[in-house]
Amino acid sequence: MNWPDLSMGGYGFYVWGSYLVSLIAIVWEVVSLRQRKKALTQQQQSSKSVSAPVLRGSINETTS
Amino acid sequence: MNIYKYASPASFYPVAGKLIPWFAIPAALLFATGFFIGFFIAPTDFQQGDAYRIIFIHVPAAWMGMLLYMLMAFYAGIGWAFNARLSSMMASSIAITGAMFTAISLITGALWGKPTWGTWWVWDARMTSTLILLFLYIGFISLQAAIDDPRRADRAGAVLALVGVINVPIIYFSVQWWNTLHQGATIRLLQKPTIRGSMLAALLIMLAACWLYSVAAVLIRLRCIILEREQNASRFAEVGV
Repeated sequence: MNWPDLSMGGYGFYVWGSYLVSLIAIVWEVVSLRQRKKALTQQQQSSKSVSAPVLRGSINETTS
Repeated sequence: MNIYKYASPASFYPVAGKLIPWFAIPAALLFATGFFIGFFIAPTDFQQGDAYRIIFIHVPAAWMGMLLYMLMAFYAGIGWAFNARLSSMMASSIAITGAMFTAISLITGALWGKPTWGTWWVWDARMTSTLILLFLYIGFISLQAAIDDPRRADRAGAVLALVGVINVPIIYFSVQWWNTLHQGATIRLLQKPTIRGSMLAALLIMLAACWLYSVAAVLIRLRCIILEREQNASRFAEVGV
């Protein structure tokens, strides 16, 4: 094992830039998946109590 | 045991949930291992210096971009041909992860091209066909997003995905078919790889990590898609449409 030269022999910007961009992309995907899941569970809870009857009511109003 | 039972979205949902940690945790461990071998063990390249270390993310990302595209087209095709909803949902789920890996391969490729070739980008056969791959993913995602009826969106997406499959062998063989600036394959199926053992190990471990990560991300998204479609369907059912 040998400690890597952090300047990457002058290529630091390109090497670390590559890994940083990849890390950002993966973190973005994980965060957006979490938010999507969270939004769904919240929707599920609220639809049980409120949104479904509201939706039904509004459609009836427009069609009748 | 009847395996077809799990072909229905509702029964696959809990199975997918149980599978996710078995992919997500090894993925994290392998990313760390691959990074460690790639930076602490693998020696500096005699030609490219340390710039070559971009390979450990660039090549796995590029492979994932192509493999996930073929997988997406396969699931979209099955979903279309056999009217299998879960299969079409799988295709939609794969698209975003595939697009992400393709974008990573293009950006890291540009970051590698600048110091080694002196340019961020050239309209070289491999790079152009990879850019087309990204556009195919984006086209698939936006086409599906533009159509309200999910089953119609699945069918439209399947046509686009299947037509676009032709691009994958073009990317793969581009470095052999045309005289490109992009270097030839480092690893071929039937020949000895052209790099050292520790470099190869880091590359393959990173590839495995990307695979496991993709499976986990795709399963999490698949569960979201199953729930979203179910909610929409029950809402339609309630209002009697």
